[in-house]
Amino acid sequence: MLPVIANDDQHNLHAGPTADVVATNSTSSMSHGKVAARFSFKTILSGASPRDPATLDNEDQSQHYTFFPLALGQILRQYAVTELHLTLNAGNWNYDRWGYPQENGVGTGAELWAWMGEGDIKSVDERWRGLRNALAGLFCASLGSLDELRTTSPEQSFVPEGSLPNWETSHKVRHASLPSEHVCTENLTPFLKLLPCKSQSGIASLLNPHRLFDADWHGMGVHVLWREEEGVELRLTFQAVFDPLRSGSVKKQDWSLQSLFDRNIHRSCPVARTSQVVSTLPTDVAYSISPEPSSIEGNVAIFDVKSLVKPLDIKMEWANSFSYPLQYHPDSVPFSVKRTLRGSSQAWGQLSVVITNYRPSAVHALYLEIMPWLLQFLVHTLEAQVDGTVRDGIISNLTYVAPVPHSRPTTFQVLLTLPPQSTVHLTMDVTKAFLRYTEHPPDAQRGWDLPPAIFTPLELGMNNSAAALVKEGRIYTSALLVDLATPDFSMPYNVIIFTCSVIAFIFGNVFNLLTRRFVVVRLEDKKS
Amino acid sequence: MDHLSDSPPRRRSILVKFKEFFRPSGNIHEKRIRRRMRLVSQLNRRLPLIKIALFLVGYLWMLLLPAPDLGRTTYIDENALQPAQVNTEWSWADVHVADQYLAQLERVRDANYSSQQRAQWLNEEFGKLGLSSSTQSYSFTPGVSTQNGTNAYAIISAPRHSGTEAIVISASWLSRTGGGDGTLNLRGISTVLALAGFLKRHSYWGKDIVLVVSDGYLEGMQAWLGAYHGVSQAGLFAEPLKLTGGVIWTALNIDYPGHSFSHLGIFFEGLNGRLPNQDLLNSVDRISRYTGGVPVVLYDHLDPREDPSVNQPPSWLSAAIYDVPQVKSFLVQAKNIARHLRYQANGRGSGVHGLFHQFRIDAITLYAVPATGPHGFHAIGRIVESSLRTMNNLLERLHASFFFYILTGPQHFLKIGLYLPSAVLISVAIMFHGLSTWVDAGWVQETRQVAEKTASGEQETADQAIQWRRRQRPITGALCIMVATHIYGFFLLNVVSSTWFAHNHQLLSAAVFVIFSLLPLAALGIPQESRSDDAPIASILKAFNLCFTSTIISIITVINFALAASMAVLLGLPLIVSTPSPSLPLKLIKYAAYACLGLGWLIFAREETMRSLWYWEVLRVWFAPFVCIVYVPLVIQCGIACLL
Repeated sequence: MLPVIANDDQHNLHAGPTADVVATNSTSSMSHGKVAARFSFKTILSGASPRDPATLDNEDQSQHYTFFPLALGQILRQYAVTELHLTLNAGNWNYDRWGYPQENGVGTGAELWAWMGEGDIKSVDERWRGLRNALAGLFCASLGSLDELRTTSPEQSFVPEGSLPNWETSHKVRHASLPSEHVCTENLTPFLKLLPCKSQSGIASLLNPHRLFDADWHGMGVHVLWREEEGVELRLTFQAVFDPLRSGSVKKQDWSLQSLFDRNIHRSCPVARTSQVVSTLPTDVAYSISPEPSSIEGNVAIFDVKSLVKPLDIKMEWANSFSYPLQYHPDSVPFSVKRTLRGSSQAWGQLSVVITNYRPSAVHALYLEIMPWLLQFLVHTLEAQVDGTVRDGIISNLTYVAPVPHSRPTTFQVLLTLPPQSTVHLTMDVTKAFLRYTEHPPDAQRGWDLPPAIFTPLELGMNNSAAALVKEGRIYTSALLVDLATPDFSMPYNVIIFTCSVIAFIFGNVFNLLTRRFVVVRLEDKKS
Repeated sequence: MDHLSDSPPRRRSILVKFKEFFRPSGNIHEKRIRRRMRLVSQLNRRLPLIKIALFLVGYLWMLLLPAPDLGRTTYIDENALQPAQVNTEWSWADVHVADQYLAQLERVRDANYSSQQRAQWLNEEFGKLGLSSSTQSYSFTPGVSTQNGTNAYAIISAPRHSGTEAIVISASWLSRTGGGDGTLNLRGISTVLALAGFLKRHSYWGKDIVLVVSDGYLEGMQAWLGAYHGVSQAGLFAEPLKLTGGVIWTALNIDYPGHSFSHLGIFFEGLNGRLPNQDLLNSVDRISRYTGGVPVVLYDHLDPREDPSVNQPPSWLSAAIYDVPQVKSFLVQAKNIARHLRYQANGRGSGVHGLFHQFRIDAITLYAVPATGPHGFHAIGRIVESSLRTMNNLLERLHASFFFYILTGPQHFLKIGLYLPSAVLISVAIMFHGLSTWVDAGWVQETRQVAEKTASGEQETADQAIQWRRRQRPITGALCIMVATHIYGFFLLNVVSSTWFAHNHQLLSAAVFVIFSLLPLAALGIPQESRSDDAPIASILKAFNLCFTSTIISIITVINFALAASMAVLLGLPLIVSTPSPSLPLKLIKYAAYACLGLGWLIFAREETMRSLWYWEVLRVWFAPFVCIVYVPLVIQCGIACLL
């Protein structure tokens, strides 16, 4: 992926002694005719620290929020959450063509993970349940369904992004994802309400739902973390991938704020300390950008929203018309992953993962699969092939938490060593569960959405894997749909009547035979 | 009261009978047993009549299936589909694009590109539109010939959607015209290419759209589908797919061989008698008529009631009778049903769409019936666009509507309850005959000179009375013969599907016929029953053979009605009329007749045999194994029963 333009915009303002607001927005354009836009709004609650779960019994110390959203702050305090990440995404991030996203969490659907300190008063799981229900209410999303059927603790793939307070008790991570959740306007509205200027001014005024939800990909994120020296940081993000060439009538990848969002920036957010639009500039083609950027750093143009003339409409135009490349070489992604579920049977199948390492050196990655119990792995059939031959040494450090039918999901994690410039085929047989009929959803014939697998590229420490460091961001595969054996719910009465008839027939006969008294009957000849 | 007293005796007798029925006096067990015996003897006495009635009703039912008043008109069952409710955006500009693709494809054809080059060209054309595209090469080695080819495919990823579901739009390089004999489907492929550029302009797709241009007629798509679903197959090398999408729910195959078309023909039968959900056909039918403005026909049968060009009476029917509306409708529907039964019975399906059904994908072929006009790319583009919108509406797989049906016309169909009983009745008749043969085998008739005391010991029956005596019915021999014949059938399948048979089938089929006809004559060497008291092995074999045939027909009716119906017609009467004969020549003549019925296809349908074997080896159509392992042994068992 080659970023062609980026926009960065920061609002900044001091208001009140304890609360700082920093909002950052960046838009960047990729090659291949797409424009990736990222909005990022950062609010820092200076000097604040997360609540210790040991103090949950006591009255909470009074909080003074000016720009930090009260609705979210209350939830964080009540459930003593140290770090929280919620993402709601629609679509599949195409790593092969779009490269790495600026925000890592791009898994399809809803994903929530949080680090919480252990406490005796309320256990982590109790607070996790409260947290997801509270967030479900706040963001109008079905986060309440992220229940025990989907919750796991994958500590290695989801390391804290901020720092963890040094309490007497240890911290635990909880993670759950819901691939069938879809993000739309009803989630964006509460999201905008958390911003200090809502969508009235500043770069947030570009968040036009009509355009955002028409993009090829879009997703929002809420990230809360604690930085020891700064305080509690809240980062609200929105990412979208636009296709200026979609209509087919234009042959140039020109874009402007007006064409992408159908809006301009009319005024800046007065409470923002910095407010910037950052645009990546193309390196090898002729283009023009207007207005003149406030500054240019490398191939990045920076527009300071506060100082530029309003209304601000940033435009980028190319001299030549665009033609699609026939080959795509992602530089920023170390490997590409394709995950499929093979087999058309409703009883078993095969999970197949194809990983292609483009780099000239071996790459290490954690492969994490969090699977609802509907699909059960036969781990002994796990096999790694390179060019059709089984190769040892690719899979190591296997961690497996077996599923509990009707409750706990599988956690399956291995460390992969991907040989340079080669393609690894991982296969594993799976069995598909047979559900109770009450467990089927209302749209039973659709099948079940399975969450994406997560790959985390690692930098291994010197000759041992214990000191593994997360090197780059997580890579999410696409979600899967699995067909389980499904009764014909369109005619439940017929099914019930047939079943009852058969049972009554068998029972009647058996009962009759068991209770009947057998007697000898002498038949006299009729003629007599 | 007066009225009652007028008819006291009659009234009383009815009352008494009524009372007797509900509160019987005397030994109720005895009464029940007597009642049962009466019923059985009544049934027994009338069994021949019942059998004949069942046969007659069954065969008549089959003949009356095309009756115009039978069945009902089709309707859309799944509310989500909403066919023909959208404004289509396919315009003349897109038609122009399709025309340009056609011109390029004609150059590709004239330049004699290899299939590899062709697929690469298609791959690049998809790539120029910004789609993810790739090629897949495959090679089949069934029996003699190797079939190589390369498929090209592209995926339009649904924006804002996880891409867990997919719709396939496909066109094979060869058209179905002439069963894939070499007519090219260039316009079908141009339509797919033009659609690729058109469909990606919209953001409302909720499912990935997979565009496949498969090589050859059927084999290319078989290789592609196998690779997509990760199914490997003996004799097939298929390159794994570089791109995969979600679970495919529905598929449309476009077949547009001519210059223009007058009607849109719908082909829907799949391999091994599978059918797609009727909602798909009905939606496309509505869309074609209301959105596309194109009349719909079944297959390529133009309707003489609407089209004067085909409004000719058949040579065996006078014009006066033909012009009776009911007769004409009957003939039209009979033609449709006959074609349907043919596609279903031999399990080959009616086109490329048939391959999808094995993976639980509802698929049909849209066949642009070649004509001089008036429709072209404009109509077919709108129909496909609107059909895609309809399929895009699906939140679940197609599961409402019907999976078992016979279409008698594009908007008229028979439900399963209307056609299934015809074959089942015949199978019941066969079962009754088998059971009565089994019962009869247990009794032997003999005349006794000596008077005999009855059980009571008081009465003496008259001498010269006809007496029925029970006898043993040893089943081991009959069962061994049956098992042996099925093993023989398995052996037959191995012989005809072997490579050396495929190489010289013109010469060898006669030899195989003779050898396999002569083999069962070994049954003549079976010693006649050692104990004359036992039932003859021939009648036991016949009873078992009939019961087994009946069971098979009944089961097959649900899986593949056409096959069951043809079995019922082919085997029903011939199996029943077999009788043992006293003289050897007569026995041999009867056996020869059965051998011809069972194995005659080796002589009279050589080409069909080879084609069925190809379908078995390449597409896993189980018609050939079924004939060899089930049908032939059943007929041969009957022949052996005549020999014994």
